[in-house]
Order: sequence, then C-alpha cells, then structure tokens
Amino acid sequence: MRRYERPVFSLLYRMVRDRALAEDLAQETFIKVLNGIKSYRPEFKFSSWIFKIANNAAIDHLRRKSIDTLSLDGAPSAETPEQVRATSLQLGDRAESPLDEVESRELGTAIERAIARLRPEYRSCILLRHVEGYSYEEIADTLELPLGTVKTYIHRARNELRGYLEDRRD
Amino acid sequence: MIDLTMHLTTDEIELWAQGLLPAPRAIHLADCSLCRVEADRERKVILELVQLPKFAPSAGFADRVMAQVKVPTPSGDWEQRR
Repeated sequence: MRRYERPVFSLLYRMVRDRALAEDLAQETFIKVLNGIKSYRPEFKFSSWIFKIANNAAIDHLRRKSIDTLSLDGAPSAETPEQVRATSLQLGDRAESPLDEVESRELGTAIERAIARLRPEYRSCILLRHVEGYSYEEIADTLELPLGTVKTYIHRARNELRGYLEDRRD
Repeated sequence: MIDLTMHLTTDEIELWAQGLLPAPRAIHLADCSLCRVEADRERKVILELVQLPKFAPSAGFADRVMAQVKVPTPSGDWEQRR
C-alpha cells in the first residue's frame, strides 16, 4: 500500500483540490482495494486497478457535489457575466486556515492552477499520462475509455494548458 | 515511404519530447521552423507536468486505512481490524 499511497493521493488531491477530501477519497480507495482484493483480475496492472477505483471515487464525488462547477472560470454552463461570477471559485476571499495555506502553497503554482481549470476527465488523463507515465493504452484500460478518446482528451488538455500558461507569461 | 515535408503530428511531438522521434522525422523537425516552435511549446508543458511533485497524505494514513480493512478469521469469516 505504501508504494501507491503518494501516487493515488496526488491524483485525488489534484482532482478535488482539497487535502482533507482527497485523503478521505484515498482512504475509501484503499479500503475498497484491500477489501475487494479477491475481485482483482490479474490481466490488469495492479496499479491500473487502484487508479481506476481512485478516479471513479473522484469523478463520483465531483458529480455528486458538482464541484466541477467550482471552476476558476465559472461553470461551463454559465452564460452571463453574473452566472460566471456566481459559479467562479473565489481565491483569497476568506480567512485561511493552516490547511488552506498548505493547499495554496502546494497547488498554487501556475501549472497546478492550469490543471485545475481542465475538465475532470481531461485532468485524470493528463495526470496519468505525464505524472504517472502511463501509456495511452493503459489509460484507456484504466479509465475504460476508447483509445481515441484518451488521445483526444490528452491533446486537448495539453493545448488548454499551453494556452493558460502562455497567457500567464504574456 | 515517409513524406519528409509533412509537419509533425501531436503524437510525433510527444515522441520527440521523450527523445523517441525516428530520425527521418527529426530531420524534418530540424528543417521546419513551424514544427520547431510547436514542438518547443509542447515540450515546455510536458516538462512542467513531469516535474510535478508527488504529495503525501497526513501521518497515520496507512494505519487509518488498515483499521477499516476486513481480515479473514480462522473460521473463514471476515472481521474488521482493530
């Protein structure tokens, strides 16, 4: 378990951007893995199985709580400036707890903020590809997505990241 | 036969960023300023991504997980660890 603790927690933390919540989801993931070890199918990489459970936990949570609407840019469905403002994630407008400070230090870099702006499904693909070093095929297996979709998500994610990072430099 | 004048695809740019681009395509890249600009932009993002740190959960995380994992008992039942 120690071997996967950091990769799984890091993926979840970047997906939900909340340390305590990421830890709960990581805990839920490992409990599911260890209690359901008999259902593990050895034709899959063990790490893929764990990431699949972790990613499902994150996506389920984001859907349930509609946290994906807490984009820095406002909800994708927001059409008017008022709707955009109402659904935007406001940074630095409340007193920060020590945990908030840790989070802003850890996730406050330009690249982390750019990742946060991606759609959740782009985020998991790009993190598995470039942080975990998974191949496109492994990502497709892990996330149960067609290979072409994975490629499209990763290319779009990189394009969007480039855009965000280049805007910052301009 | 590879068309050496064809611009690099995103997949090929990713291969180049990993140092895996086949030589004929590398020749095109060396000669094509458009592809070089595109490849450099892409490499910057990939580099930022691969350098991202791994975060650790708080101390005692594994113990908290193991406390909730069921272990088989000699009778064949499962019980929760304490």
